[in-house]
Amino acid sequence: MRIIIAGMGDVGYHLAKELSIESHDIIAIDKNQQRLARIDSMADILTISGSATSLEILKKAKTSEAELFVAVTSSENTNIASAILAKKMGAKKTIARIANAEYLSNDVGVNFKELGIDFMLYPEELAAQETVNLIKRTAATDLLEFEGGKVTVMGLKLDKNTPIINKTLTEVTHQHPNVDFRIVAIYRNFRTIIPSGKDRFIANDQVFVITKPEGIELILKLAGKENIKFDNIMILGGSKIGRRVSELLQKNMTIKLIESNEDKSFSLADDLPGTLVIQGDGRDIDLLAQEGIIDVDAFVAVTDDAETNIITCLMAKHLGVKKAIALVDKADYIPLTQTIGLDSLINKKLIAATSILQFVRRGEIISQTTLEGIDAQLFEFVVQPNSPITKKPVKDIGFPKDAIIGGIIRGEKSFIVVGDSQIQANDKIVIFSLPSGVKKIEKLLT
Amino acid sequence: MNLKIIFRIIGFLLMLTGFFMMLGIPFSIYYNSDDISALLQSGIFTSAVGLIIWFFTRDPQNKELGKREGYLIVTLGWVFMALFGSIPFMLYGAIPGFTDAFFETMSGFTTTGATILTDIEAVPAGLLFWRSLTQWLGGMGIIVLSLAILPILGIGGMQLFTAEVPGITKDKLHPRVRETAKRLWGIYVIFTFTEIILLLIGGMNLFDAINHSFTTMATGGFSTKNASTAYFTSPFIQYVFIFFMLFAGMNFTIHYLAFHGKFEFTKINTEFRFYIFFIASTTVIITLVHLPHVDFHLSESIRQSLFHVTSLVTTTGYVSSDYESWAPFSRMFFFVLLFIGGCAGSTGGGIKFARHFLLMKNSSLELRRLLHPRAIIPVRFNGKAVSMEIISNVQAFFIFYIGIVVLGSIILSLFGLDFITAAGAVATCLGNVGPGIGAVGPVNNFAELPDMVKWILSFFMLLGRLELFTVLLIFTPAFWKS
Repeated sequence: MRIIIAGMGDVGYHLAKELSIESHDIIAIDKNQQRLARIDSMADILTISGSATSLEILKKAKTSEAELFVAVTSSENTNIASAILAKKMGAKKTIARIANAEYLSNDVGVNFKELGIDFMLYPEELAAQETVNLIKRTAATDLLEFEGGKVTVMGLKLDKNTPIINKTLTEVTHQHPNVDFRIVAIYRNFRTIIPSGKDRFIANDQVFVITKPEGIELILKLAGKENIKFDNIMILGGSKIGRRVSELLQKNMTIKLIESNEDKSFSLADDLPGTLVIQGDGRDIDLLAQEGIIDVDAFVAVTDDAETNIITCLMAKHLGVKKAIALVDKADYIPLTQTIGLDSLINKKLIAATSILQFVRRGEIISQTTLEGIDAQLFEFVVQPNSPITKKPVKDIGFPKDAIIGGIIRGEKSFIVVGDSQIQANDKIVIFSLPSGVKKIEKLLT
Repeated sequence: MNLKIIFRIIGFLLMLTGFFMMLGIPFSIYYNSDDISALLQSGIFTSAVGLIIWFFTRDPQNKELGKREGYLIVTLGWVFMALFGSIPFMLYGAIPGFTDAFFETMSGFTTTGATILTDIEAVPAGLLFWRSLTQWLGGMGIIVLSLAILPILGIGGMQLFTAEVPGITKDKLHPRVRETAKRLWGIYVIFTFTEIILLLIGGMNLFDAINHSFTTMATGGFSTKNASTAYFTSPFIQYVFIFFMLFAGMNFTIHYLAFHGKFEFTKINTEFRFYIFFIASTTVIITLVHLPHVDFHLSESIRQSLFHVTSLVTTTGYVSSDYESWAPFSRMFFFVLLFIGGCAGSTGGGIKFARHFLLMKNSSLELRRLLHPRAIIPVRFNGKAVSMEIISNVQAFFIFYIGIVVLGSIILSLFGLDFITAAGAVATCLGNVGPGIGAVGPVNNFAELPDMVKWILSFFMLLGRLELFTVLLIFTPAFWKS
C-alpha cells in the first residue's frame, strides 16, 4: 500500500515507523530537513522536503497513485488543505488531523467527506476520553473495553506486598478456578513479554490482564488494589483536553480546574457551569494546598508543558493523592514515568498515531489500540467463516509466540481464552501482540 | 462638542413632535371639541421652530456623532420635546400653569403616567389623544423612531440608540441600527394594533381603545377616565390589559424571536423566566394576604392582585381599585414593587429584572468567592457568564438609583411632604410607574404638590427613563472636557 504522510512530527514519525515495519510504501513530506533525516535513519521510507500544500511536491510524491494520504502537520489549515488537494489529485483515502471539535459535528451541514477528507482526527478528544476512562477505573494504569465492556483489558502495577508476588501464573490460575482471566502481557524492565504459565510475578511488574466484567473486582483484589469511586478531581491546565475532561466529568464529580491565563479562565468558567475554575499557577504549592489537593481523589495534569505535568503529578502523589495522570507528549519520557512513580500517562501523539493505524488496517479489524508506554498492540478481529483458526482448538492453531488471543466475544456472550477454547466463524477475538507479531497475525487471519 | 449637528437633530425632533401633535385633530372633529385651534397652532408653531433650527444648522462641516453628542442629543431632545409638547395643554387652558403642563408632558413622554389632572374627562378628545400619544412615542423612544424612519441619522445612529435605550447588554436584531429600530417599532405597532382590536371586541369604543392601547404598550399608564382603568369593570378588558402589560414588560427581542417561531428563550432566557416566576409568585402572595380583608370572589381577587402586580412591576401604573385600602402588608409590598421594573429591552422603566437578577446572584456568589479566593466564579445569565465590567456597571446603577431615591425623598420632605408620600413620589417617578403611595396613591394625584417638587419629580422621570447614566453623565465635569 502506498501511503503518503505529510508532517513528520511525533505523530508522523511514529506512524511512519510502524507502517514501514509492516512493509507498506511510505512517502514522508516535511518542510524540515532534520526531521526527515531522523525518520530516514529509523525506517525504510522515501522522504520529500517541502510544503504539503505545494502542488509540485504532491505531484512528486505521486499522490495520484497513493492509497492513503495522511496529513498530520502541526497546522490544522495545512492538514485540511493538503488532504483536499490530495483527494482531488487522486489519493484514494485521506486523513487530516484537526485541532478543534467543531469540525467533528455535522450540525452546520459542512460535509468534509464531500470536500475530500475521509477521516478527521482530533487527538485531544481521544486523549480526554482516555483520561475519563482512567478516572472511572481507578486502580488500573490502562483500561480498554471491547464491545461495550463485554471484555476488558486492564493494566495493573504490582506493589511489593501484593499477594501474588513470586507465584507463577499457573499457581495463581489454579488458586482461583472460578475467575475468568488471562494474563496477556507483563511489562518488566522496559520490555514487554508475553508470559507463559511458568513465569513468576515480580514486584513493580505492570501486568496486563483480560477479563470479563464479573472478574474485575476479584482481579483488583488479587493485585492488591481496590477500585475506589472517585468524586473529587483536580485538573491542571485548561487546554482543550482539560476543558473536555471537565465537561465529561462535571455532572457526577466535583471538579476543580486550575488555569493560569486570566481570559482563558473566564472563558472556561463561562463554558463549564459545573466546574470550579481557579486562576493561578499550578506549580504554586500554596495554591494547590489552599484548594485542597490533599482531599482530591485524582490529579490530572494536562498543561502544554510535559515537565510541569510530570512534576506536579509527582507532587500530588507525594501529598497522598490516590491517582495522578499526566499528559506527556514527549515520547522520550514515556519509559521513565512508570519508574518514577506516575500512575498513568496520556500521550496525544501516540493516541493519534494509533487511531490512524486503526484506519489503515480497517477490514476485519474492528479496533486496534497501542498501549501507552509499552511496545504492544491490542486488536479486535472478526473471524471470517472458513478461517483456518476455526478448525482447531486454540492451542493447536499455531498462533505466533509474540502474540496471544485473550478473549472471544460471541453474540451477547464473552469468553476468556484457554488452550481448549474453540473459535467459531463470526466471533470477535481480542488479540494482544508485540510489533513483531502483527504481520504474522494478519497473514494467519486473512 | 459638535453643537451644530446636535441642534440639527433636535430641530428635526421638534418637527416630528409638531406633526404628531396635529394627529389628534380628527378626534377633535369627530367629537366636535373646541381644541382644534390649540392643537393646530401649537403643532405648526413647534414644527416651524424645528424647521428654523434645522435650516440654520444645515450643512454641518462635521457630520460625525460621538458618544458625548449622542448623550447630549438624547437628553436635550427629551427636554425640548416635553417643553414644546406642553404647549397645547397651556394654549387650550386644560392645564393653565407652565409647571403643571410640563410635568404632565414629561410624565407622558417618560411613560410615567403620574398626572396632575383632577378631572381628566373634562379634557377634550384631541388633547387626550395627544396626551396618550406622548406615552406611545416615549415608550419605544422617539429617537429610535427617528432612526427607523429617516436615513438622516446614518452616522452615529448607534450612539443615539445606546443613549436612549441604555439597557445592560445590546441585543441588536440586525447588524444595522436602522433595521433594528425598524423591527422594534414594527413589533411595537403590531402589538398596539392587536390590543386595539381586542379592546374593541371587549366593548370599548374606538377612542378609548386606541388611547389605552397606546398607554399599555408604552407601560405608561395614562387613562382617558377619571377612575383610570377601574372604569372598565369587564374581566375580559382587564385581562387584555394584564396580558399586554406583560408583553410590554418583556424584552422585545423575545417577541422578535417568538414572531419567528423560535421559542428556546423560554428555556434559556434567565430574565424572562425570572420575570414570569416573580409576577406569578407575587400575585399568589398578595392574593392570599388580602383575600381575608376584602369581599372579593376568589377569581376577582386573583385578577385584582395580578392586575396591580403586573401594572406596578411593568411600571405601567394602571389602577383598577384602591390598593391603599388593602392590608398594610399589601401596601408595603406595592411600595417595594415600585423598585422592580420591567425586563431589559422592554418599554418598562425601573431598575429592571436583569439588574436585580445579576445583583442578587452576584451577591450570593460572593460568599462562595470568599471560600475560593482564586476561583473564577462568574454570574451566569442566559446561560452565559457575565463579565465583571457589566456587574460593576449594574452595581453602580443600583447605588445611584437607591441614592437618588433616598436623597430625593429627603429633598421632598423639605417641602413639607410626609415620609410615605415623599418616598412614594420619588420611587414612582424615578421608576416611571405613575401612582405612588400616601398622598400620591392610586386614587389621588400629583396636583397638590408644590411647584418646586413637580420640577424635581419631572427631572427624576427623565433620569429614570434614560436609565440614569445618559443624564448623569452630562453633569460630570469630565463630560465637558475635550
